[in-house]
Amino acid sequence: MTAQVERELETETEELTVREAIRQALREELERDEDVFLIGEDIGEFGGVLEVTGDLYEEFGDERIKDTPISEAGFTGAATGAAATGTRPVVELMFSDFSGVAMEQIMNQMAKMRYMFGGKAEMPVTVRTTEGGGMGAASQHSGTVHTWMAHFPGLKAVAPGTAAAAKGLTKAAIRSNDPVFVFENKMIYEQTGQVPTDEDYTAPIGEAAIEREGDDVTVVATQRLVGESLQTAESIADEFGLEVEVIDPRSLYPLDTETIVESVRKTGRLIVADESPLSYGTHAEIVARVQEEAFFSLDAPIQRVGTPDTHMPFSPPLENEVLPDGDDVRAAIERIS
Amino acid sequence: MANYNLESSEGRVEALRRMLLIRAFDEEAGDRFADGEIPGFVHLYIGEEAVGVGTCAALDPDDYIASTHRGHGHCIAKGLDPKYMMAELYGKAEGYCNGKGGSMHIADVDAGMLGANGIVGAGPPLATGAALSIDYDDRDQIAVSFLGDGAVAQGQVHEAMNLAATWDLPVVFVVENNQYGEGTPVEDQHNVDNLSDTAQAYDIPGLTVDGMDVTAVAEAVDEARSRARNGNGPTLVEAETYRYRGHYEGDEEPYRDEAEIERWKDRDPIDSFTERLIDRDELTEAEFEELQTEVEAKIQDAVDYAQDATPPEPHEAYDDMFGEIPPEIERFATAARTDGGTPGGDR
Amino acid sequence: MASSDSDSSADSESDRDPDSDRARVGLVVNPAAGRDVRRLTGGASVVDNYAKRRIAECVLEGLTVAADGIEVAAMPSRAGIARDALAESDVAADAFPAEILEMTLEGSAADTRTAAARFREETDTIVVLGGDGTTRDVALESGSVPIVAVATGTNTVVPSPVDGTLAGVAAGLVATGAVPADDVTTRHGTVEATVRSSGTADGSRLTALVSAEISSRSFVGTRALLDPADLRGGVVSRAHPGDVGLSAVAGAVMSEPVVGDDPGGVAVRLDDPDTAERTVRAVVAPGVLATVGVESWERLEPGDSVLFEVPDGVVGADGERELETTDATVELCPLKAGPRLVDVERTLAVGARRGGFDVETASSARE
Repeated sequence: MTAQVERELETETEELTVREAIRQALREELERDEDVFLIGEDIGEFGGVLEVTGDLYEEFGDERIKDTPISEAGFTGAATGAAATGTRPVVELMFSDFSGVAMEQIMNQMAKMRYMFGGKAEMPVTVRTTEGGGMGAASQHSGTVHTWMAHFPGLKAVAPGTAAAAKGLTKAAIRSNDPVFVFENKMIYEQTGQVPTDEDYTAPIGEAAIEREGDDVTVVATQRLVGESLQTAESIADEFGLEVEVIDPRSLYPLDTETIVESVRKTGRLIVADESPLSYGTHAEIVARVQEEAFFSLDAPIQRVGTPDTHMPFSPPLENEVLPDGDDVRAAIERIS
Repeated sequence: MANYNLESSEGRVEALRRMLLIRAFDEEAGDRFADGEIPGFVHLYIGEEAVGVGTCAALDPDDYIASTHRGHGHCIAKGLDPKYMMAELYGKAEGYCNGKGGSMHIADVDAGMLGANGIVGAGPPLATGAALSIDYDDRDQIAVSFLGDGAVAQGQVHEAMNLAATWDLPVVFVVENNQYGEGTPVEDQHNVDNLSDTAQAYDIPGLTVDGMDVTAVAEAVDEARSRARNGNGPTLVEAETYRYRGHYEGDEEPYRDEAEIERWKDRDPIDSFTERLIDRDELTEAEFEELQTEVEAKIQDAVDYAQDATPPEPHEAYDDMFGEIPPEIERFATAARTDGGTPGGDR
Repeated sequence: MASSDSDSSADSESDRDPDSDRARVGLVVNPAAGRDVRRLTGGASVVDNYAKRRIAECVLEGLTVAADGIEVAAMPSRAGIARDALAESDVAADAFPAEILEMTLEGSAADTRTAAARFREETDTIVVLGGDGTTRDVALESGSVPIVAVATGTNTVVPSPVDGTLAGVAAGLVATGAVPADDVTTRHGTVEATVRSSGTADGSRLTALVSAEISSRSFVGTRALLDPADLRGGVVSRAHPGDVGLSAVAGAVMSEPVVGDDPGGVAVRLDDPDTAERTVRAVVAPGVLATVGVESWERLEPGDSVLFEVPDGVVGADGERELETTDATVELCPLKAGPRLVDVERTLAVGARRGGFDVETASSARE
């Protein structure tokens, strides 16, 4: 168990949904720092299309909860310019699929400005966006694109799998002087969990959380697959007496390689479960790091669970076919145990 | 107060000095590029000096500008030091960006210069964002975005204009219409004859001025600045100008002929302004010669400085990616610092 | 000032066909009219080039009143306003021959003057879409060819805010002689300014259609004369409170208005409103109703001139700063031989009286 998780558990907690945890993070940071403002489509009076910003508009007004035109390149670029000039914007990109529309400003301005200028620009901008299938939202509203941002130099990318991580990472992202993308899986907004109430609680970017300890198999799972892997771990323990260790990396870039590698040294077996498409992705990065650091600790081939390189189809039977879930994690464990 | 104000004789001479400085800097940069001393690409501002200088004459020192790939003139007009600019062009550690940016990315955020930009049309959203900060903090500043005629065809430019107009942000879009987007004439890229007409789509004023006349540009931007500071939102100022050199150094320019270049040179912004100042007894021929000598010496100093400056250490390639260096990069930095080698395993 | 000439087609010979017995109408659409700083200050309306093209299409439609006896030659522009108007106006395209003048474009007022000089030899009537400046530029070169001026500029004292279709009808009637030009045209006066100084502007002249102004601003800058405090006076070819600009100031102090075809003009000298001989309210620019102090005013006969001492200032023409001068004496003089302007309304009335709108049908032919 990492020091961070221990610290978290020592503090007072309350039960919140992921959605409530993120909103609480936003509220606390808006209260804490006057430079913070939110900017995005329908986040004001409307409360956000997936109701994350909710009633913040009533509390903070339209100066700090800014509704934008449907203009992702424009407002993402404006947030980039604003971040370089003394404020701390938090962008909501309604669906991560829409980041394509804003990609120029993200990759060539937001990500590169500090570096190109020799460190003479701060870029304290947070981009929150939703990912994931399971809602019948079809291919342009269900994508999981976090690999792009985690891959692109100059951006940090986090993807919480629990309510505590959702709050802690959102707060850490806002406080960071670097651009941080927070990828929220839309299927877990209603998932509940214990969340520290301390207003100074953050989940440091670059630190994984061990959500369940076990000696037999390591499952590195992200977002929705954290909860599903935990359920799978329980049933596997009941059925086979195997103890599965479940790690939520929480931060995709930087990645807490050490926590994952230590676990694999202990278990000798690794499953990487992430909803992004399988090829050239997040899974591959974790696998590569583990083989670099713990090649001789591996007792079995590493398994990947993800979306098999398709877009997210609309019809429920089709969506169910390609969407990775706890059963896929179970099958992977069974293959190597 | 403005950096230099065209309302006063001293301000006018200062404006002339800055135009001379820009021309001398860029002529030198072109020569040094041809000599192979400056790596990469350079895009020279020669011929367009009145736009940058006229614009910055109407600004306060703490106003922001977002620049373009053709940014040397904007930097000098805004008051950046040619010494550190030249060092940056040479890729030296003393350069504005410690050698990480080069000609296309010179920036000095503290001086209000939000960067030259290698992406055509990327500046307007950034300047709109600076204006958003200004508006959010209720600061008494404005932001200017320079953009070329080519950029007016970019989608993000129009998103920025719409956003700035909708939110009444204190930003001025200065379109430098130098008649060519890279190698294609402006009329083959736009259906409007006056690029300023595009402002009407956003219900903001758009006007066209003579970009070869520093007083015309300054007067227009000054009006636009007042409008912005009074909370009335953005303005689009189109300045009609001409670049004497190719799109980049080495461009063979098959798209235009010498006669056209000469026609524009007849209206040279520096010659015409010099003539007018001499006519007005604000400058004598002798004083002009002195100014020329001073400017040339300053540029020679800048080149000497840049040539003698320090090449960055290889390990500096790993600096400045983030506020805090992540382990993924740190291991390479450490390896480069210690033995210049690569960290174990891979690269 | 690009070299390409998007309106001209390479093979079109623009010289008038000597065998044609059609009357020829010249069309000038100024792409630069009305795009200046007055879009930002003052209250000028904005006429974009799309609107100008639509107005040009209306003119072409109006010209079909004399379809059988008419042909059209239009000034090119980089944006191809006239080209597009000709292309979109199917009616006109089928109704009479139309062409774009073949000429090298400068992208400046020089284009208007080049086209006007050609029209002087080749056309019977010229339709101008622009403001006072464009009308003046045409007038300087077009001799006594009748001009129908339609307002699409910023300062529009002379051009009428008339519907383009009606302007086209009037042009068609005058060009073909259905309405005799002498019955419906007047010669508008002009004002000439001559600079004498020790500087480079010595000997420079410029001609204004409505007003030649002296401004205390040092530079031409964005051209427009906006701040009444800068205005020192000048000479106007007409004086009427219904005008905009210096002629409105003159109109406010003169006991009788002076109209465009009255010979001579009026000299006015302005001063501090608090100490001036007379202080009036006048519309000095679109959207600017100013309080102006008038020190003196004087009716001038053609050829009379007045002198202004200009230590540091700009000589303007028709509301726009044109010529920077220092230590100069500027002589301003009204002249009478200005452009020959068509009165659109009168043309239409005379046209009706002469049966110019009658259409021969089976029943009318029986009578």
